[in-house]
Amino acid sequence: MKDKLFRDILPWVSKPIRYTGGEVNIIRKDWQESKAKMAFAFPDVYEIGMSHIGGKILYGLVNEKSQHLLERTYAPWPDMEERMREEKIPLYTLESFTPLKDFDVVGFSLQYELTITNVLNMLDLAGIPVLAEQRSDQDPLITAGGPVAFNPEPFADFFDVFLIGDGEELLLEFLDMVDQTRNLERRQRLQKMAEIPGIYVPSLYEVEYHEDGTIKSRVPLYGGVPERVRKRVIPDLDYAYFPDKPIIPYMNIVHDRAVLEVMRGCQRGCRFCHAGVVYRPVRERSLEVLKKQAELQLKNTGYEEISLASLSTLDYTGVDRLVRHLVCSYGERGIGVSLPSLRVDAFSIDLANEVQKVRKTTLTLAPEAGSQRLRDVINKNVSEEQVIEAVEAAFQSGWNAVKLYFMIGLPTETEADLEGILDLVNKVRETGQKYSRRSVEVRASIAAFVPKAHTPFQWVVQNTAGELEDKRRYMMRQKRKGIKLSFHESYTSLVEGALARGDRRLGRVIFHAWQNGCKFDSWSEYFQLDQWVQAFQACQIDMDFYTQRMRSMDEIFPWDFIDTGVSRKFLQSEYNKALQGELTPDCRIADCTGCGICSGLGVELSLKEAGDYAFKSPV
Amino acid sequence: MRLRVQYSLGPDLRFLSHLDLMHMVERALRRADIPFLLSQGYNPHIHLSLGTVLPVGLWGQQEYFDLELEEMYPQLFKQRMNEVLPPAMRIQHCRLIPLEAPSLMKLINTATYVFCITDVSKEQLNTLVRNWYESSALPVPSRGKKKDRVKDLRKGIYRININHGEDAFQLEFLVSAGEPLNIRYDELLDLISASVSPRLIVDYFRKGNYIKKKDRLYSPLEKVM
Repeated sequence: MKDKLFRDILPWVSKPIRYTGGEVNIIRKDWQESKAKMAFAFPDVYEIGMSHIGGKILYGLVNEKSQHLLERTYAPWPDMEERMREEKIPLYTLESFTPLKDFDVVGFSLQYELTITNVLNMLDLAGIPVLAEQRSDQDPLITAGGPVAFNPEPFADFFDVFLIGDGEELLLEFLDMVDQTRNLERRQRLQKMAEIPGIYVPSLYEVEYHEDGTIKSRVPLYGGVPERVRKRVIPDLDYAYFPDKPIIPYMNIVHDRAVLEVMRGCQRGCRFCHAGVVYRPVRERSLEVLKKQAELQLKNTGYEEISLASLSTLDYTGVDRLVRHLVCSYGERGIGVSLPSLRVDAFSIDLANEVQKVRKTTLTLAPEAGSQRLRDVINKNVSEEQVIEAVEAAFQSGWNAVKLYFMIGLPTETEADLEGILDLVNKVRETGQKYSRRSVEVRASIAAFVPKAHTPFQWVVQNTAGELEDKRRYMMRQKRKGIKLSFHESYTSLVEGALARGDRRLGRVIFHAWQNGCKFDSWSEYFQLDQWVQAFQACQIDMDFYTQRMRSMDEIFPWDFIDTGVSRKFLQSEYNKALQGELTPDCRIADCTGCGICSGLGVELSLKEAGDYAFKSPV
Repeated sequence: MRLRVQYSLGPDLRFLSHLDLMHMVERALRRADIPFLLSQGYNPHIHLSLGTVLPVGLWGQQEYFDLELEEMYPQLFKQRMNEVLPPAMRIQHCRLIPLEAPSLMKLINTATYVFCITDVSKEQLNTLVRNWYESSALPVPSRGKKKDRVKDLRKGIYRININHGEDAFQLEFLVSAGEPLNIRYDELLDLISASVSPRLIVDYFRKGNYIKKKDRLYSPLEKVM
């Protein structure tokens, strides 16, 4: 297959290096000697999939720490797909050019709802039945994990098994079971797997609906199948596997650098944030462990840059000491440190200055909402003064471009909040003009808010595309010098919203949309609204039921049985506080907020360095 | 000190772009702990110059780069680099050259390209080559920067050999490279494809890069000034 690829196919496609494998630090395990064989499938192109930390972790974990085998595959770009279909080349893995059909398991990483059509497309390209019920004992088990799997129901038709929560422990237990049950028939195997905590097997449940379309009940079909599925949590990151020798891609990928995961989870409690709930509680890595990981990773990759990743890196208690250590140890060798997101305060700017001794690029801040009132509603605890102070500090020390992130369509939003965004952007620019000799550019990136499952806003109505469009036009009504507003596609956010809070019945819609040619829906040049609308119509399913309906407080949600550890009572109280504009403090600083995670999952906050700096600001 | 390095880049790496290759070499230099020199200033970079650049799709048997570094035995450089490079890239030779030696780009003016063709007879190829030699002009659409122009390859083709390969014949072109006339492999491919079905051209690569002085060919390792 490799010869044919190299000779007849790759010379004619764009970016052929995506499809050749053979990268430095690739792991090729012996097929015969390995127990369970799994293909890790990322439903987007190589340069995006290879940037994902979770994939790097699982790849090293399975291949280095177990007797199982894990190989990679990514979604081929449409030009490559077309060639593969013409030449009858099935989807293959980059390690051994083995067709996916030959594996025991194909596991998809679901990072974003709209990648689901690529999942279907990849299964089809692999010659594996797209619908779980049509698979035989000879077909691989199709599984999925990642943040999107916390509401697995819209995708239930396509997967045999979902893995919920941190994959480090769960995946190995799952693969052990795959290997042990290989002689059983498919249904029996799945029943065995459903007994492992964190594993959800959708075909073992039955859902009944009320006449109004809401859920009446969901019941396990067999004994031993749990009613609720609780997410798995790694209690201490210091003992969790992290790769010291990640693959170095040949092509330039989106995050092309060494990476340290300084912590998992975020306790800030922004009420719109899905990741903030599903990755709770905060677990930090110790400074000493991180230093060692940095040393080994840089030695084994030769990367010229190292990045500190997490949901909120500036909150890591040892961040200042870690940054100084990295700059001191590796700066002279031309290795840079990068901080992915900045908090809105002067401490962040100081630290950023430390990191960027030479290069001052764009400063990125995320106030999320334009008015203090709305920022209180979403629990984004940051004031206008703090934003301006941070920007002053930045311009004084030589930065000359600022990028601000906002959302529109948040609950309780009015015209005044939109004005607030424009005002804040103007003030930021004026501040910049005061301190900078050159003309200052401020860019604001404005996304549409999508209510997500498991958040305090899981009950609310999402803005219609029309409303979002009106808001966009309102904000764009006059041009402002030195200010650039960019808006996310409002239609994609609707489909995203329907899937994010959808139920099992959406499987038919997804299948239909895919059959009508939907793929790469997260790429605006490929997203086809009309095909999605048609798919909903053809299945006689009302999209508004999922996006435009205010849910009642006691409605049974499709995702309720997935236990994130955060109680529904807490989410409800957070929603009520949102409507009152009441803040909930960060539990690392103030008292326990009673979200339920620590007592429920038998874990605790894991703060390692007790640094002073990280807590200086409540933001 | 300045080192000139000769390497091969095998078929597995034929789809690397210039930038991909540069990153790959830079990262290998770091893994091998080579004492390279960094430029001063705004955005420090390694003094690495890839003098010969293989276009995407082509592999090469003898390619070159120059590197500035602190004192180090060239043999140690070769050994340490080959330990960390992917198997498809091998460093073959390296030697010290004067700091003021002209760049590879300025020196190299000739290259050989090889095209492997199956299911043809030697007679067919002989006829083909004879026709090319006898033509006063060989026009093909230019593949370089001036895309809309027609380029005459004839005066840039110095010699064509026909060799027996393993299971194919090899057409080997010695052509002009760099300034003032750069003959590209894809232009040669167009020329051959006009008479031979593209499906029969099963492989192609660059065999070498040379410095042509009068009628003699020198390797960039022999002729550094």
